[in-house]
Amino acid sequence: MANINWRTINIDALEAESSYNFDLSTLTPAVQPVSTADVQALSGQIRQLSRGGDNEGALRGALENAPFGADEQGKSIHLSVVTEILQNIRQAEMTPILQRMYQSENGSEVCDTLMKYLYKGMAQGAPSANATTNATNARNVTPQATGFTQAGGRNFGGGEGGGQAMSVLLSWHEKLVEMVGPGSIVRVMSDRRTV
Amino acid sequence: MAAPEVHHLFHAPIADHSFSADRNTLAVTHSNTLELYKRNGNAFRLQDELRGHDKTITGVDIAPRSGRIVTCSQDRNAYVWEPSSTGQWKPTLVLLRINRAATCVRWSPSETKFAVGSGARIIAICYFEEENDWWISKHLRKPLRSTVNCVAWHPNSVLLAAGSADGHARVFSSFIKGVDDRPEPSVWGERLPFNTVCGEYLNPTAGWVHGVGFSPSGNALAFCSHDSTITVVYPSGPEQPPQAVISVATQLLPFADLLWISESEILCAGYDCEVYRFSGQASGWQLTGSLEAAGKAGAAGVQREESALNHFRSLDLKGRSGTGADDTKLRTVHQNTINTLRSYEESGAGVRKVSTGGVDGRVVVWTV
Repeated sequence: MANINWRTINIDALEAESSYNFDLSTLTPAVQPVSTADVQALSGQIRQLSRGGDNEGALRGALENAPFGADEQGKSIHLSVVTEILQNIRQAEMTPILQRMYQSENGSEVCDTLMKYLYKGMAQGAPSANATTNATNARNVTPQATGFTQAGGRNFGGGEGGGQAMSVLLSWHEKLVEMVGPGSIVRVMSDRRTV
Repeated sequence: MAAPEVHHLFHAPIADHSFSADRNTLAVTHSNTLELYKRNGNAFRLQDELRGHDKTITGVDIAPRSGRIVTCSQDRNAYVWEPSSTGQWKPTLVLLRINRAATCVRWSPSETKFAVGSGARIIAICYFEEENDWWISKHLRKPLRSTVNCVAWHPNSVLLAAGSADGHARVFSSFIKGVDDRPEPSVWGERLPFNTVCGEYLNPTAGWVHGVGFSPSGNALAFCSHDSTITVVYPSGPEQPPQAVISVATQLLPFADLLWISESEILCAGYDCEVYRFSGQASGWQLTGSLEAAGKAGAAGVQREESALNHFRSLDLKGRSGTGADDTKLRTVHQNTINTLRSYEESGAGVRKVSTGGVDGRVVVWTV
């Protein structure tokens, strides 16, 4: 006993009523679980819209039906769809689209969702090219197999393509913050419904 | 609109402040001492320091009629300070029986009880027991899931609203037999034994709730949370879904506290260092402006009038443009986050003046 540092004992684990002993997910707002197949079907529809030239409708559809309840794979599929659409929209069209989106019904919430995807996209490096493959690769790559766990686990979006995607996300971010202010950024950080 | 009355007391954060009913005494938390300031003309002079807490004081409240002061601290204790005939303040320790810091404290309007929120997911309701000459605390526990950030009393002194870091604002009954009169039935319920949960509301993002408040009539509840929103709830009756829950998402940084100034107006203040005004009713609410708006444009104009010579001279001498002081100063009266927002003066129609205390060590009195 003498050589146990009692300051490091987790006293919460010993108390039955402590927060350590209940499921923290019960605190989050209820989200509908979404299966990966559904996300895939939805992304198909959205891509179709986008291919038909209706990028704005596609973006709106993607943001309004963001799969908060999907698993990691489902979420990364949806992320790649969103970033694809964002890249399809020309710089000059960004502000008018955002304005129309923000002023519509539930506009503030849609813009918050877009902000979530921008940050998620930036965290991913080069999302459009790697997001889907990353998710599938992650399970196969074991630390022993490569020996470069750090390098394998993180993708800095290297090369021209990644930089391009990042600059698109950054210009969307700039235009979005102009519209919705720091309030939206704070909401993304505090929101427990992640994308 | 009259200019705000600014009192820069010291260079340390003010976690909480409270004015006495005659507004001549100002109690301010300063680290682990409570400082009492007396009004002296237009300024406040330090008059007394109340020592007793070992750690940072997180809450202070002066009971308007009895003049008793209650403080709570991170040392998990609360003290009730009573004025004695010699002019000294006599502290009475209140055992809260909590194992985490106390975060906030408020007297009930009846002044027979006070509520202390804590990090132990407990609200201690404390009342005085004559027989034992001792403050007793009773715990509200369920269904709190995280630290209680703020508490607010209903005008009937039985219902208590609490905002918590689990993203919920809740309304509890704190009815104590022998202390409280049986409350009139209201939209919140009819029979209200201790720890009845009369309402539980979650904001859309489940962000921390920083401030709660009942409307003057007590028939509506508002809370502000860390997702930069304020939410107003209009209950329709006991055990029924509320008739309206309105959430206003703002473009600003989050609010730390709110105050109803009438049934249709709320003031909010927080990390933007400004006081904002919201107005509305059960059909909808919106942001209508800031208390600082007047005079701000003029100040900016003066700053612009600077000759090119001065500009380059200061660039040369100091390595930056501008005249020095201005680029380290915010345009707002408060120079840092506002922690608390309190009613200062009320008239029949509602609150006429409010006071704010902030991390910059200022207490400011605003005319609404």
